[in-house]
Amino acid sequence: MLAVALAAVSGGFAYFLPAAMTAYQATGQVVKIASPSPAQLLFTPTPTSSTNPAATGDFTVLLLGSDDDSKFVADHVLTQSMILVRIRPAAKTVTMLSIPRDLYVPLSTGGTGKIDGAYSYGGAGAAIATVEQDFGVHVDDYIWVGLLGLIKVIDAIGGIDVVTSNPVLDDFYPQDVFSNSPYGYERIAVLPGPQHLDGVHAMQYVRSRHGDLESDFGRSQRQQQVLLAIRQKAKQLAPEDIPAIAAAIGGELKTSISVSRVTEMLPLASSFDNPDSIQQIVLLPPYTHGGGPGTSVIANWSLILPLVHRYFP
Amino acid sequence: MISRVLLAVGLSVLMLVTGVTSYLVLDGRQSKVAAPPSKPTAATPRAHALVLPGTLYLAQSGALYSFSSGRFHQLTAEAGWSQPTSTPDGNNLLAVKNGGYFSDVYQLNRYGTPTRQLTSNAGRLGMRDPSSNHWSLYPRLSPDGGTLWMTYDGGKCSGCLLISFDIWAMPVNGGMSKAHAWTNTNLVPGGDVQAIPVSGGIIYTQYSYDDQGRPTGQLWYTNRANSVGRALTTQAEDCRNPALSNDGTQIAMICTYVKQVSYLTIASWNGSTLGPRQTLITDQMVAQPTWAPDGSGIAYLAPGVADGPFQLWWLPKDAYAPPPPSPTPVPTPTPGGPHNGPLPSPSPTVVPPPPVIKPIEVTTNDGFDATSPMAWLA
Repeated sequence: MLAVALAAVSGGFAYFLPAAMTAYQATGQVVKIASPSPAQLLFTPTPTSSTNPAATGDFTVLLLGSDDDSKFVADHVLTQSMILVRIRPAAKTVTMLSIPRDLYVPLSTGGTGKIDGAYSYGGAGAAIATVEQDFGVHVDDYIWVGLLGLIKVIDAIGGIDVVTSNPVLDDFYPQDVFSNSPYGYERIAVLPGPQHLDGVHAMQYVRSRHGDLESDFGRSQRQQQVLLAIRQKAKQLAPEDIPAIAAAIGGELKTSISVSRVTEMLPLASSFDNPDSIQQIVLLPPYTHGGGPGTSVIANWSLILPLVHRYFP
Repeated sequence: MISRVLLAVGLSVLMLVTGVTSYLVLDGRQSKVAAPPSKPTAATPRAHALVLPGTLYLAQSGALYSFSSGRFHQLTAEAGWSQPTSTPDGNNLLAVKNGGYFSDVYQLNRYGTPTRQLTSNAGRLGMRDPSSNHWSLYPRLSPDGGTLWMTYDGGKCSGCLLISFDIWAMPVNGGMSKAHAWTNTNLVPGGDVQAIPVSGGIIYTQYSYDDQGRPTGQLWYTNRANSVGRALTTQAEDCRNPALSNDGTQIAMICTYVKQVSYLTIASWNGSTLGPRQTLITDQMVAQPTWAPDGSGIAYLAPGVADGPFQLWWLPKDAYAPPPPSPTPVPTPTPGGPHNGPLPSPSPTVVPPPPVIKPIEVTTNDGFDATSPMAWLA
C-alpha cells in the first residue's frame, strides 16, 4: 500500500515538477537596492507606521513590463510599463498608479533620464530604487513580465474579456513579435467595445500608443484594464492549471515574491470583487507635461507627491 | 524465488500504473477556461433546438455563419470576414474582409459567395508605405441602397502617427474616388464609428475624452455632411453598438459607464432624440444587440461563462415589454330573485406575478466575434 501511495504521490510530483521549477526560478528574486544619496531625493521622507507590511498587512508591488524581443539584449530592456500597486487586504482595496515610461527623473544609477531606462541600467533593483527615491514610496516587491510572457499567459488562461474603451489604430505598430523583421511595422486596428481578447490582440491593445492623443497615458489606462481582466480570469483557474501556465510563462516572469507568499496571496486576489474598490490613477496633465529632453515627460512633483503619498506610504 | 520476482514485477507495474494514472487524473482536472471555442453547428443541445425567426448572420474566427431553423451554416472560409449586414432588399449581404493590413467591403449573396468588391483599400506599396492603406469597417447601406456608409480612416496624412476613424459615405456604384467624409473627428481617440442609417440621417458612436481624460463612447445623430450633429447620450453613459428596431421606434445600445461593465439598454427613438433608458441586462458583458425582424426580441453576444468567449443569446420581447395583464374579472350579478341574508364579501382576486423572462443562451462554446455587428433577415 505504501508503495502504491508513493507511486501516486510521484505521479503528482511529476505533474507539478515543471511548475515548481519555473516557480523556483521566477520567484524569490533577490534585488540589491542602493540607498539614494540625500541630494537625489525629491522629497523629505517621513516615517510612517504603515511602511511595515507586517504591521498592517498592506503592501506595495511594482509591476514592470518590458519589450524583450530580439531587438534587445536580455536583462537590458526598457520597462514600457511601470505600475505601482498598493494592496490593502483588510480594507479590500487596491490602488494602481501608472508611472509614465517617459517621465524624466533622477535615476538611482546616477544622472537623469527617462524612468524606463532604470531597469536596463541596473535591473529590478535600479528600477525599484528609482521609484522609491523619486516618488518617496516604499516598494515591498516587484513583478517583471516580458512581452511574450504576457501574450502567453493570456493565451494560457483562455483569453480575457475586456471593454476596449476606444478604437486603437496604429499604422506603425512594431512587428517584433512572431516576426523575422523586428524593426518592421504592421498596421493594427483594435475595435472598441466588449470583446474577448487573445494574447496577441490584448498586447496590441495595451502596447499601441501612436493613435492616442494621450499617448502613453492612454496606454497606461488600457494596461490597467487588461491587468484587472487577467486577475478576473485567474480567479477561475484550478490548481491543476498551474503547470500549463508555468510552461507558458517560461523565463518571461521574475518576481521578488517568494513561492510561499504567492500561495498566501492567491486567496487574497479572489477577494477583491467590487470594481469600485480598485482605484486607478494615471498621471495625466497637470501632473505631468511634455516637452522634456528627448521627447520625455516632465513631472510636476508638487502635485504628484501629495497624490502619491495619499495612497502609497 | 520466482514468486518474489513476480511480486516485484507486479508491484512495479502497479506503481507505474498508479503513478501514470495519478498524473493523468491531475491533467484531466484542468479547468476548461483555456479550451478553444468550437465551430458553430447547432443551437445549444436540447430536446428541441432553439429556433429564432428568419436568418441571423454573424462571424467567428474570420468566417461568416448563418443561423436559421436552429442550425448554423458556415458561409465563407476563415479568411478575415466579419461585420455582415444586409442590402435593403434582403437579397444580398455586405461584409468586411480583413486583408491583414487593410480591409475592404464586399457584396456577397446570401450563401456567402462574394459577388462584388465595393472598396479598394490596399495601398500600392503595401507595408512599404503603411499610411497608404486603409480600413473600411461597419458597412451599412442607405434605405434606397444607393449609399454605402462606412467607418473609414481616410482623413490621415502620410506618415502620421495619430489616426482616427470618421464616418464616410460612398455611392455604391461610384467607387472610393466618390467617397466623402460625413464627420470629422479632429483626431479624438478613435473617432467616429459604426454608423446606422435612420430616417433622415445616421446615428453613430463618437469616441472622445471626458473631462477626466478618459475615452468614452457617445451616440450622435447627424443629418448632413460635415456636421457632428447632436449628442443622443452623455459621455458618462459611455454608449456604443447602436441598433435600430425594424419599426424604427427604438434603439438598442451597449452602455458601459466608463467602467469594465456592459449594460444592454434600449430607448425610444422619435427621429431626433432618445427617450428614457430601459436597462435590460446588467450582469453580463453584452455586445452587439440586434433586433429580431419580427420584433419578437433582441439577440446579443455575451460570454456563456464569466470571462469566457462570447456566445449568442436571445432575449424574448416579453422580458422588456411584457403584455398588459389581463383585466381583473368583475363579478356579474346573477339573475334571480332578491337575495336573502347577508351578502357574501367579495374575495380579492389573486393576480399571479408575471413570469420572469430570462435571456436564453443559444450557444455554449462558439466564441463569436463580439466586435462584429450581426445582421438579421426575415
